Amino acid sequence: MSCHIEEAQIVTSGDELKILLMGNPNVGKSVVFSKLTGMEVMTSNYAGTTVSFTQGGVTYKGNKGVLIDVPGTYSLEATSPAEEVAVAMLEQEVADVIICVLDATNLERNLNFALQLQKYNLPIVFALNLTDVAERQGIFIDIEALSKELQSPVIPTIAIRNIGLKELVKTTWEAATGEEKIYDEVPQDQDERWKRVGRIIQKVQKVEHRHPTFLEKLGDALIRPFPGIPFAIIILVLALGVVVGGGKGIRAGVLLPLLNNFYVPFITSLVARFGITEGLLFNVLVGEYGMLIKGIEWPIALILPYVFLFYVALSFLEDSGYLPRLAVLVDGLLQRIGIQGGNIVPLIMGYGCAVPAILGTRAATSHKERVIVASVVSLAVPCAAQTGAFVALLGDRSIFVLILVYLISLIAMFIGGVTLNKMLPGHTDPILIEIPNLLMPDRQSFFKKILLRTRHFMVEAEIPMLLGIGFAALVAETGILNTVGVYIEPVIEGWLGLPKEATIGLILGVIRRELAVLPLLELELSTLQLLVGSVVALFYLPCLSVLGVLIKEFRMKTALLIGLSTFVLAFFIGGLINQVVTLLAIFI
Amino acid sequence: MSIYQLKRKNSCTIEKLPQIGLLKSLGLREGMIVNIMSKQPFGGPIVVQMGKRSIAIARNIAEQIQVREVN
Repeated sequence: MSCHIEEAQIVTSGDELKILLMGNPNVGKSVVFSKLTGMEVMTSNYAGTTVSFTQGGVTYKGNKGVLIDVPGTYSLEATSPAEEVAVAMLEQEVADVIICVLDATNLERNLNFALQLQKYNLPIVFALNLTDVAERQGIFIDIEALSKELQSPVIPTIAIRNIGLKELVKTTWEAATGEEKIYDEVPQDQDERWKRVGRIIQKVQKVEHRHPTFLEKLGDALIRPFPGIPFAIIILVLALGVVVGGGKGIRAGVLLPLLNNFYVPFITSLVARFGITEGLLFNVLVGEYGMLIKGIEWPIALILPYVFLFYVALSFLEDSGYLPRLAVLVDGLLQRIGIQGGNIVPLIMGYGCAVPAILGTRAATSHKERVIVASVVSLAVPCAAQTGAFVALLGDRSIFVLILVYLISLIAMFIGGVTLNKMLPGHTDPILIEIPNLLMPDRQSFFKKILLRTRHFMVEAEIPMLLGIGFAALVAETGILNTVGVYIEPVIEGWLGLPKEATIGLILGVIRRELAVLPLLELELSTLQLLVGSVVALFYLPCLSVLGVLIKEFRMKTALLIGLSTFVLAFFIGGLINQVVTLLAIFI
Repeated sequence: MSIYQLKRKNSCTIEKLPQIGLLKSLGLREGMIVNIMSKQPFGGPIVVQMGKRSIAIARNIAEQIQVREVN
């Protein structure tokens, strides 16, 4: 936990205004932050999206300021890593002013935080956010009265639609340059403070009874076992259908024809124009593993559609507020593998990329749970790129094997989780979360988020992939493989029953997960070989960036242990399937 | 009785909360009236509603929350 405090060093030059952005979790702080700074940060509709602080620049009439997005906390008692960060930021006494975001649909709980903030005697500007949702729910707040009670300016905002933000910045500067602020004594005792909150609420808030809206009724229904669990299954199957089916459609219907009919002939003739028509260089550029061919085909035609569609599905689930509901429904099940329901979020993120999934485990879970989630994701959750590779490899040959690979993945997650739960010391944190309003995602920020994530993924993927393909081309063309092949033949051909060319995948799989699968596309494999190759690739080492994150988050020993276990399990299980099926075939 | 013993659609007054800071920070207080929204199977959490807000509480925490049923 101490590492979080060490991170809390704010970098500023002397004359900038230092603004802390604070508030309860899931009130829209990160939305305010990205709108004010123009910086792109992840936002979602549930608590704990921001796990450490971010800072960005803001200007007002030529004056510079730095805005610091502090993780959301329910109180300032330093009982969780996020609260420790928040308290450390306040106590460093470097801030000139605080912007405290309040959720208008939940003013009472937010005021409890607001009062605690006054203890630090810094000027505060309150942004009363989500006023549109509040009014739809029949909640009306008297801004002037609230401002008087809080002894500070209150600006109504709808941050996601840019409403009230200009006024917020203006007021922030005015407040910061005003005189020093001393607030009325705030009761230290929890109960006394809540009584004060209650009195303020009586004065400033009026609630009209409204019939629950369709979304409110749906939000409540989705959290009951019935119809919640059947709906959860439908929603997840639908998401899977969008990603796998949609991805396959885009690939086969649009991208591959474009590539094969236009790009490949074009680039081959271009290379020929430079007088390169055969030999090593020709093969490295446009041959079997040609960098100019596979370097475009693999990332764009095989990976991109799946990554893009995965983030469409994930972003929708996040922004709608569905994920905490799912967390509640699966809590009982996940407890069997030693983690609480909230960890469904990093598990699902792992189907996109394991890096944000492992970072996401920072949000309020025990160390034991973090290790379990990180191990399970590293071992058995295929990332979006690997899913693309699996569909490309198996989709046309055998849907049965494709489904089998995902079933094996689920079984491995469960057995792995149960085993780790028994082996690891430590405890599982009980679930205790707030269920956010179910909302229709805001279209603009929804698309921006998808583009941001897809771009990030592709940029991260392209260079290692190109290097990997170049390496594969060299290995394939120079015949190095034959020399190395002698040593690994017993494992690859004897135990796994794969052709020795499959070694290329295993070497490249160290760099990226999908590269363990894609070279198999170029080989003529039997159905059994497809299954074995896919299973080995599924469990095989997490990619280099994931190993990096594992080391950063859990130290070398745990990271190496996770890496080694996945490596051994990949060969063990893959080989076992090969041996058992081969043996059965003899008897049948 | 503990809040975990109640069924869906029941209401109750909270009499005693365990010493867990987050419970109070989430807005639960002694003397407050809450509704039971849902109860999950397999030892899952109970979801309680206070005003327009809902929070999910793990079984072992819920069993420590003493309540009196309101009809």
